[in-house]
Amino acid sequence: MDALTRIETELRSRLGPAVQGLSSPQPGRLFVDVERRALRPAAKALIDLGARYMVGIGWDEIARNGTIGLAHTFAFDADHVAVVLRAAAPAGDPSFESITPDIPSAGWSEREYQDLLGLTFTGHPKPKRLVLADDWPAGVYPLRKEVPYNLEPPAAEDVAYRLDEAPPGTTVVPIGPFHLSLHEPEHFAVYVDGETIKGCDYRGFMTHRGIEKLCQTQVSYNEVPFVAERICGICGSVHACCYSQAVEAAAGLKISRRAEYIRTIMLEIERLHSHLLWLGIAGHLIGFDTVFMQAWRVREKVMWLAERITGNRKTYGMIVIGGVRRDITPEIRAGIEDVLAALEKEVLELKRAIIGDSAIHRRTKGVGYLSKEEAVRWSLVGPVARARGLRLDVRKDHPYAAYDDMAFDVPVADSGDVWGTLVVRVLEIFESISILRQALAGMPAGPLLIEAPEALPPLRHGLSMVEAPRGESVHYVITGEENRPERWRVRAPTYPNLQAVPQMLLDNQFADFPIILGQIDPCFSCTDRVAVIDAGSGRRRILGRTELEALSRGPEAGRSRS
Amino acid sequence: MWLASKIKQVLMVAKPGVVTLKYPFAPHPAPENYRGAPHWDHTKCVGCAGCANHCPARTILVRDLCQEIRVLLYDGARCTYCGRCAEVCPEKAITMTPRFEQATSDRNDITESLELFMLTCGRCGRCYDMEKTNAIDKLGLTGYRYDSLEARTVLRRATDTFQPKELDRTERYERPETTGD
Repeated sequence: MDALTRIETELRSRLGPAVQGLSSPQPGRLFVDVERRALRPAAKALIDLGARYMVGIGWDEIARNGTIGLAHTFAFDADHVAVVLRAAAPAGDPSFESITPDIPSAGWSEREYQDLLGLTFTGHPKPKRLVLADDWPAGVYPLRKEVPYNLEPPAAEDVAYRLDEAPPGTTVVPIGPFHLSLHEPEHFAVYVDGETIKGCDYRGFMTHRGIEKLCQTQVSYNEVPFVAERICGICGSVHACCYSQAVEAAAGLKISRRAEYIRTIMLEIERLHSHLLWLGIAGHLIGFDTVFMQAWRVREKVMWLAERITGNRKTYGMIVIGGVRRDITPEIRAGIEDVLAALEKEVLELKRAIIGDSAIHRRTKGVGYLSKEEAVRWSLVGPVARARGLRLDVRKDHPYAAYDDMAFDVPVADSGDVWGTLVVRVLEIFESISILRQALAGMPAGPLLIEAPEALPPLRHGLSMVEAPRGESVHYVITGEENRPERWRVRAPTYPNLQAVPQMLLDNQFADFPIILGQIDPCFSCTDRVAVIDAGSGRRRILGRTELEALSRGPEAGRSRS
Repeated sequence: MWLASKIKQVLMVAKPGVVTLKYPFAPHPAPENYRGAPHWDHTKCVGCAGCANHCPARTILVRDLCQEIRVLLYDGARCTYCGRCAEVCPEKAITMTPRFEQATSDRNDITESLELFMLTCGRCGRCYDMEKTNAIDKLGLTGYRYDSLEARTVLRRATDTFQPKELDRTERYERPETTGD
């Protein structure tokens, strides 16, 4: 019995008539429509069958039929199947039963639609604001169609996010929102007992740009890839490719094989420079700047290569719906091969020089540990999951582009700590080099771009996954009637991984905070100044250097220590 | 173990030596096919507005100042250099130059504007490009007259310091009912 039938039988036997519809318009995708009340049991059934939760998608259909839709997506990685559970609630009573008690990584998806669409989730363990600013007026839900994309409600001064209550006997150390070495503003309130981390509250989404809303209202289908590229500072091709694949899947377009090969090449070049960038940053975070300098020196070759292939070192603009924009000419191919040969040598040298360094071992081994069971429970993806013994890789599990033609290994470590993620990433660099060589050698002739139909069929759903350097990116597209997506949902790999960071931080040393967070691939560093928030009153005062020195010298000046 | 690693690291660092480029003190030209600032060739442009239509950043504006003059304004401040305009241009009037040093304190440095002389279609009354000759010839050919004081002020200003505000005014400007005579 194949996986689709097994899932179908299980859902029908558990839920009976609550399953309203079942379809598989694309291979490896199963769309299941269920009644609203059956959403939680259905999700539970899929998790019991061994599914991995991916992301939730909400959309506004009030103008069309008076409902707000909600879908949860699940992946059966071993069976190469992705399941979409769809349900709808009337706009007058947009409430669903929360699935977060069963699936902790669904917590953010549900909180997101609570903010953006005004859905309510009964039984959610932490129904706090997630995406919207603290002073955003209540009752204005930006993803609803009636809210204009450029709405700017007046700012309020006197509202603030209420942090979780600190566990008794702990002190709050805030990191962020603006931090010396943060690439993006995000706020961690870390609860420490002495030097040991006892918990953490996270407030992020401070750079929520409303890209989804913008692309659903302002630009047209083939302009979205260029916006998608700017979602992330590293994985531009990943998002452009993932979006294009989602639209192609929804509209039933089949692109040429050569374009798929070129997409593969772009994605692997991106993985190369992303992993080298991470390696450098990881070295920097543990105070080992030789790694930082050398990894980035090696990485620069890849950036120049990308510049030669696409015309820019980061925003490649290569991938559009229907194919790619530029060809890999024989001269460029020779250039890629030269760079790969040099790169392989240099990365090997780098690996040999640092892999045995006990300074790295001491700072990474056993740090940020998370067991395999927890990794499954939190639906971790990418190198973070592979360092916990999970053999997850979208390139193998749900092949896209030309990955079905490539022979490669998925490196897995079982140490469950930061060291594991480092090993996995370094090994993946060599796998990427091998994939690139295979792709260059096996690239068939063919057109770059296929002629897309004048209008894509409206209201079709498409789901696509791409293995970004940091893990699995998920894009969900509902095609629209006005030459632009009706709904476009983006889930970057950090979305599930970050949700598990509080778990990884538990009982670690505060000094290891940057690298524990850094293992999932955002970046942090320590600071020369701290802000102390009084957990009771929420009042904040900033301590300067002299005060800090006084604090550290006078034992009674410090806060209570157990 | 530790010492062996350190020796390897010293060798790894010593071998490439200094890799920092001399740029900006020595020039560092962009590679071939680089997508730098776009440039419009006014002799080729037919004013179809395809570039404006496909610009993901919405930084190309096309407006009709009056019946015969169509203005194309490219504001580089918002450009993402994706090269989509050059790709969709049917006349290949747009090239992506290798210019990348675009930082400036004056927005006009990275703004391009074209005034295209269009003819009126005898049937539908819409305008279209005449011939690809020089602008002075076009003036005579199209029968263009400064028949409105308002249009003249707008045009004068448009030529050297083009302001998007002026475009707003021209939106409200009432077009002449008949053209030429």
